Amino acid sequence: MPTRPARTTSRPKQRPPEQHRSEDDPRIMLDRAVSADLYEPIPPYPTRTEREAEFYTIGDGEMFLNLGPQHPATHGVLRLVLKLSGEQIVDVDPVLGYLHRGVEKICENSDYYHVIDQVDPLEYASALFQEWAAVLAFEKLMDVEVPPRAEYIRVLSAELLRISSHTLFMGFLALDMGGLTPILYSFIERDEIVEMLAALTGARMLFNYFRIGGVNGDLNHEFMSRLGDWMSRAAKQTEANTGLLNENEIFVRRARGVGVMDREMALRFGVTGGNLRASGVPFDVRRAHPYSVYPQLDFNVPTRLEGDSLARYLIRMDEVRESIKIIDQCLNNMPDGPVMAKLPRLLRPHPGRAWGAVEGPRGMLGVYAISDGTDQPFRFRIHDPSFMNLEVVPHLLPGNLLADTMAIVSSLDPIMGGIDK
Amino acid sequence: MDRTLKRRLEARLGAQIQGPIRQRHDQTEIRIQPGDVPDVLRTLHDSVDLRFELLADLAGVDTGNEMQVVYHLWSETSPDWLRIIAEPLSREDPRCPSATFLWTGAEWLEREAYDMFGIVFEGNRDLRRIFMPPDYTSFPLRKDFLLPDDAARSPGEGVRNVERPFAPAVVADDPAAGVRRAPAS
Repeated sequence: MPTRPARTTSRPKQRPPEQHRSEDDPRIMLDRAVSADLYEPIPPYPTRTEREAEFYTIGDGEMFLNLGPQHPATHGVLRLVLKLSGEQIVDVDPVLGYLHRGVEKICENSDYYHVIDQVDPLEYASALFQEWAAVLAFEKLMDVEVPPRAEYIRVLSAELLRISSHTLFMGFLALDMGGLTPILYSFIERDEIVEMLAALTGARMLFNYFRIGGVNGDLNHEFMSRLGDWMSRAAKQTEANTGLLNENEIFVRRARGVGVMDREMALRFGVTGGNLRASGVPFDVRRAHPYSVYPQLDFNVPTRLEGDSLARYLIRMDEVRESIKIIDQCLNNMPDGPVMAKLPRLLRPHPGRAWGAVEGPRGMLGVYAISDGTDQPFRFRIHDPSFMNLEVVPHLLPGNLLADTMAIVSSLDPIMGGIDK
Repeated sequence: MDRTLKRRLEARLGAQIQGPIRQRHDQTEIRIQPGDVPDVLRTLHDSVDLRFELLADLAGVDTGNEMQVVYHLWSETSPDWLRIIAEPLSREDPRCPSATFLWTGAEWLEREAYDMFGIVFEGNRDLRRIFMPPDYTSFPLRKDFLLPDDAARSPGEGVRNVERPFAPAVVADDPAAGVRRAPAS
C-alpha cells in the first residue's frame, strides 16, 4: 500500500478566481489570433487617409468602443467606433455600408416605371417621399402635367405619412433615453395611419403608389372612413402624446443643451429638414422651391433657435400640427377629375437633366436624373437627408458622455436604409 | 425660371462660365472647368447678391466619354436651384478640387463620389471608401461596370420585361462594347 503523503496543515489551495482563465479550460476553444482580430478596431490595412490615421492613433488613457452595427439603439445597421476617455467621447468614426444595395445602379438598369419600386425601401419609414422625389424629377424631365386631384392625393397621403414618421421618431427618441411608454402610443398612431394608407395603396410600408403623371388609384371609401375617424381626434391625441414627453422632467433635462448645432454649422454640413430649422434656418423645400399644390395651402414653417436635441424634437411635434392643418385643407379643397395623366407605356424622354427635390420628414430628398433618350435613366442620383444629418454626428458627439450618444443620434433621426442606399 | 439670376451670374462669374447658361423649369445650369471649382463656389457663396449658402447635392457622373462633378446649390435670393457642372474630368485619372473648404458636409458626398466613380477630390482629408469595403477595387457606378444580368448592354443574354423596339447601339467586337455613352449635349 502506498504511503499516503503526510497531511500538511496547508491544504492544496484552490486557485483564486482571477486565475480561472478561459484559455486554461480545454472545453473552450479560444483562438487568440481570432479574438484579437475581432475585438481590435484598428484597421488591419495601412490607414488610408490622414484623418483615419489620426483617429486610430490612441492617446494616453483612451480606448475604443464599437457601438453597433447590431446595437438596438443605432436605428439600423450603423456602426460607430467611439474613442473614449473614461466616459467622455473624444472622437467618433461612423462606419457605413452594411446595408448598401447599389440602388442607384439598379435604377440605371431598370426602366422609368420600375425605378419607383426600387426607391421605395430607401426611406422605409416614409417611402412615399422617396417615390415623390423620383417622380418629380421624371416629370420635369418629360414635361408631364399632373392632374390637380392627383396632386392633392399625393399631398394628403404624404402628410399622413409625415405624421406617422414624426410620431415614430418621438417614440424611438424616448426609447433611446430609457422611456418605454411613448413608443406604445406612437405605434397606436402609426398603426392607424398605416392601415389607412394600406386601404388606399394596398401596402402598409412600401407603397409603390405614386406614378409618373399621377397616383395609382383614387380615394376609396375605406380610406376616407378611416381618415375621418382618425381626424376627429388626431389633434387631441397629438397633444396627449407630446404631453408625455414635454412634461417629463427627466427627458427635458437630458435633451436640453445636448448636441447643440448653430446656424453656421448646420449650413456648413448641408443638414436639412427639422434639424436645420431647429438651428434657425427657415429652409423648407415646400416653401423654398414650391412643388405640387403646396403654394395653395396655408401652413407655417416652424423654426427654433436653440439647435439642441430638445429643439429638434419640438420642431417635429410642431410639424405634426402643421401637417394636420394641411390634411384638413386637402380634404376641403380636393377637386374632382382624373388621377393619372395620359402617358405612353414605354417612356423615352428626350436627352436632358432634371433635379427634383421634396421635403421629407428628415429633410430634403433629392433626385438628379439624366436621360439619354432610352427607356432607362442614364444617371439616377439619390440625395438622402439622413446621410447629411448623420455626417454631423462626429462633430456633435465629442465632449459629451457616452450615455448622451443616443440622445443626440436619435434626435437627428437617421434612417440607415436611405443612408446606405 | 429666374432671369435675374442669369444676369447676376454673368456679372459675377463672367469668363469662368463655359458655354451658355441653360434654364429649364426651376433649374439654372452653368458649366465650368474643374480647376475653377474653388473660385466659383467661393464667389457663389460669398457674393452679397448670390449667397448660395446650402450645398444641396454633390454627384459624380460618368458620361461614358468623361467624368463630371455636379453641384446643386440653394440660395434664398433666387427661386431656382443652381446646378454647376464641372467638366471634363478624364476617365483614366479623374481629379477635381474639393469643396470641403467651404462646406464641411461635402466630405462624405465626395467620399461617396470617390467610392462609386473613383473621382479624386484634392483637398479632402478623409477620401476613403464609404459604402464598399476597404479592399474593394472597382468603381461600381462607372458605365464600364456591367451587371452580370444586364441584358440591355449584352445582346443575346437575359430577358427584358419591356419591349425594346430599337437595336442595341454597341457591337460586341467593339473594344468599347458595353459602355453606354451620353449624347454630346
